[in-house]
Amino acid sequence: MFTRRGFIRAGAATVSSLALRPFGLLPALAQNASSSYKALVCVFLFGGNDSNNTVVPMDDTNFKAYSSIRGSLALATSSLTAPATTASGAPIAFHAKLAEVASMFSSKELAVVANVGPLVQPLTRAQYQSAQAPVPLNLFSHSDQQLAWQTSIAQGGSPTGWAGRVGDYIASQNINSSSFPPFFSVAGGVLEGVGGHTQPVALAPGGSLNLTGPAAGIAAIDSLLTTSYGVSLTQAANDMLSNSVSDAAMLDAALAKGTALKTVFPTTGIGAQLQQIAKIIQVASYLGMTRQIFFCSLGGFDTHATEIETLNTLYGQLSPALLAFYEATQELGVANNVTTFTESDFSRTFQPTTTDGSDHAWGSHHLVFGGAVGGGQVYGQFPAFELGGPNDTDTRGRWIPTISIDQYGATLCTWFGLPPSALALVFPNLANFPTSNIGFMGSPTS
Amino acid sequence: MHLSRIRGFLAIFALVPCLAQAQQVSARAAARFLDQAAWGPTPASIAQVQSMGFSAWLAQQFALNKSDLRDQPILTVTGTSNSNLAPVQAEFFFNTASGEDQLRQRVAFILSQIWVVSQQSGVTQAYAYPPYWRLFRDNAFGNYRDVIKAVTLSPAMGRYLNMANNNKANTTAGTVPNENYGRELMQLFTLGLTQLNLDGSYALQNGNPVATYNPSIVTAMSKVLTGWTYPTAPGATAKNNNPEYFYGQMFAVEAEHDTTAKSIFGNVTIPAGQTAEQDLDSLLDALMAQPTMAPFISDQLIEHLVTSNPSSAYIQRISNVFENDGNGVAGNLQAVISAILLDPEARAGDDPSAQVAASFGHMREPVLFFSNVLRALNATVAAPNPISGDASNMGENLFNAASVFSYFSPLSRTEFNLVAPEFQIYSTQTAADRVNYVYTLLYGKPRGIRIDLAPFVNNATTAQALVSYINTNLMHGAMSSALRQAVTTAMASATTPMAQAQAALYVVLTSSEYQIIQ
Repeated sequence: MFTRRGFIRAGAATVSSLALRPFGLLPALAQNASSSYKALVCVFLFGGNDSNNTVVPMDDTNFKAYSSIRGSLALATSSLTAPATTASGAPIAFHAKLAEVASMFSSKELAVVANVGPLVQPLTRAQYQSAQAPVPLNLFSHSDQQLAWQTSIAQGGSPTGWAGRVGDYIASQNINSSSFPPFFSVAGGVLEGVGGHTQPVALAPGGSLNLTGPAAGIAAIDSLLTTSYGVSLTQAANDMLSNSVSDAAMLDAALAKGTALKTVFPTTGIGAQLQQIAKIIQVASYLGMTRQIFFCSLGGFDTHATEIETLNTLYGQLSPALLAFYEATQELGVANNVTTFTESDFSRTFQPTTTDGSDHAWGSHHLVFGGAVGGGQVYGQFPAFELGGPNDTDTRGRWIPTISIDQYGATLCTWFGLPPSALALVFPNLANFPTSNIGFMGSPTS
Repeated sequence: MHLSRIRGFLAIFALVPCLAQAQQVSARAAARFLDQAAWGPTPASIAQVQSMGFSAWLAQQFALNKSDLRDQPILTVTGTSNSNLAPVQAEFFFNTASGEDQLRQRVAFILSQIWVVSQQSGVTQAYAYPPYWRLFRDNAFGNYRDVIKAVTLSPAMGRYLNMANNNKANTTAGTVPNENYGRELMQLFTLGLTQLNLDGSYALQNGNPVATYNPSIVTAMSKVLTGWTYPTAPGATAKNNNPEYFYGQMFAVEAEHDTTAKSIFGNVTIPAGQTAEQDLDSLLDALMAQPTMAPFISDQLIEHLVTSNPSSAYIQRISNVFENDGNGVAGNLQAVISAILLDPEARAGDDPSAQVAASFGHMREPVLFFSNVLRALNATVAAPNPISGDASNMGENLFNAASVFSYFSPLSRTEFNLVAPEFQIYSTQTAADRVNYVYTLLYGKPRGIRIDLAPFVNNATTAQALVSYINTNLMHGAMSSALRQAVTTAMASATTPMAQAQAALYVVLTSSEYQIIQ
């Protein structure tokens, strides 16, 4: 059996030096490497979630502006959860279909991070409008802003994802005790998990990587995995199959150690994905994992029309699945060791369209939960609810982010145990921002 | 994703002249050609191309009767909306396996991958898909401008990207027309994000790439495309905002059209006071005049048909044809498709002694993989069949892409920084799925599919004869010595000609060499 996981061969001419810069000279995890397991779980909301309707500030001034400007998209109090008081005293409410999310907020297991997005550096409306400062490449384009979130390099062109670079660091420090990849996707291969020399493993929920065939055929497949095909797509395909074969062996042995979870997950796509992640976490030690990053996704958020109905459906799938996952981590005794966070292409225009929807925008509010999260609080500032106001790029309510993805990610990764020197390599734009820790992970561990 | 498309350095092509038609086409060349121009070779089609030559074969394909995807009921037997797309998906694979109009189907499918409409977060009604498919089938060898107009006015796209009932701004309600179709029409269907030279490289200004549009142009586009609604269903009364109905074309409702002047890309101003259709025609004129469209579309067609990493010279040659078919017509798809398939870079590998870059070619995406394998195994495909479910597991859910960004991006890259669109849905999971599907097909009894291995069994007189037969018909005679050795070893333990054929085909069809069409 071929067991060495394929090594990414990047074209040296175009790969940034960042991707190839060695982590070897860096200090090890801030915490002792033998410390307990930690996992980050990304829930990517594809299509651009209108986070203006995920969470709403309920103080009189903001709620009046929200109701007036959002018009047909404004949620009435009957379509919102009961207002929760944040640690700072300002009340917020969640979309009524996010009742489970609201309950985790109330029990201080979930935090809201307001107005996060890709930035090269802090940016004002005046700077944006006069084009006097660098802005992310191809703003408002789905594909580009998904990649900005996944790479945390807003300028574009990164061949690696930020979680992939975290994986490179984990591998360079031998923090995990096996060659099983640190990045695990239950939603296909994604750039977020592609590192300079670590590659994602992808498993469909309930799927298997085991190959079936006649013994002689399987032996033939194995024998071909070491064939060299030069600089070619054939080589790239062969490397992927090699990865699959080596991952299958480890995965199979580990999953055989699992026991049925008592937590019941909703029978939705996102429910099945999160359930699969919980099953992997249960057997993480058999995979030799001390640090692991997971990726799952829910699509359909591109609500240019009939947004109210669409979000009712999607949040109705998302919220119970998130709670079930949190409960599963409690069942497994790792609630404090697993932190789940959302990402999305962008948020959407505050001003509605004539088709009862909203268009592509920028900064968005995000959810982070887990036992280690400083929950029950909003981190960062809601934008001023004013079309053409100080946070708007133009006149439609496309919020210029006030927290960068780099800061959001670095806060998560600081908890994960990355030292500042590693953070600087994973998030090369981080130094452009005043703080690398937004504070939502409680007190920093280093 | 936004690196320049100049990739000429990758291609070291022997400059062979386009093969004269009088010259005998080799079996290798015919098989290669049919992996590019059809849903894969069969022994019969190889012989046909050998006897006809490439050009005559193409001419015949252009003229063949069109296969169809049959209309579906609007309602289920219980009177609810029919969302069952399975019959349409099954018939698609029935057609790829046995339809005569192979090239038309290929091109139509490529166009449908650019102009995505999907059930996911979109058009759930199954009856919308056959008429939408026919737009691509009927225009596959037509003009790209006609494709743009037909799709723009199709109710399926009107629903999917929300151009239907996209009314002009309402100052009382504080609403403005949505930007969805206007934005994606530019980004995905015609211009791309960045201005290109005819060879696919960035058209630089002062050393910097130039965006094809900015946010204010997107806003202007949203106004240009206001004032269209669904066709009126039979027996219904026309309204300014009709309910969804997917036969026929959308029609203009001038009361909902924004008649102000609009400044769009290319410094074009669409004048105030025009009707919705006049605005649309002005927009089509402006799109066809944008020099970036030819390389943007040509490159994607090359990627789907021939190679993910064409040389800049290849892109330029095709862009030139896109801009002018020789008769002064731009956007002539028949001329463009012919030029792509007959280009020296596409045909270079027909000659086994030619030096072709290792990076040449592209991966068989799941839909292509299934169609190729089924044809190679002389499969009889019934409808219904479960093929689309298997393709869906591998990331290509037919007519059901995750978003308007399709099953995979033409800009996606893989190892060596090679452009590799199909690799976006090739993961550790789907790599294993491919192997396991081959096993099911060869050793199981998949519902709705009957393969016929008789030609392989008949050629299994010796191991060498069987390998040679498979090499010619499935591998264009380009099997590596490593694969040949692996096949021979795997066959050694088989005791019957059938078991030998199964073992040999299992190793070839699961091999990484087979996954890439070179």
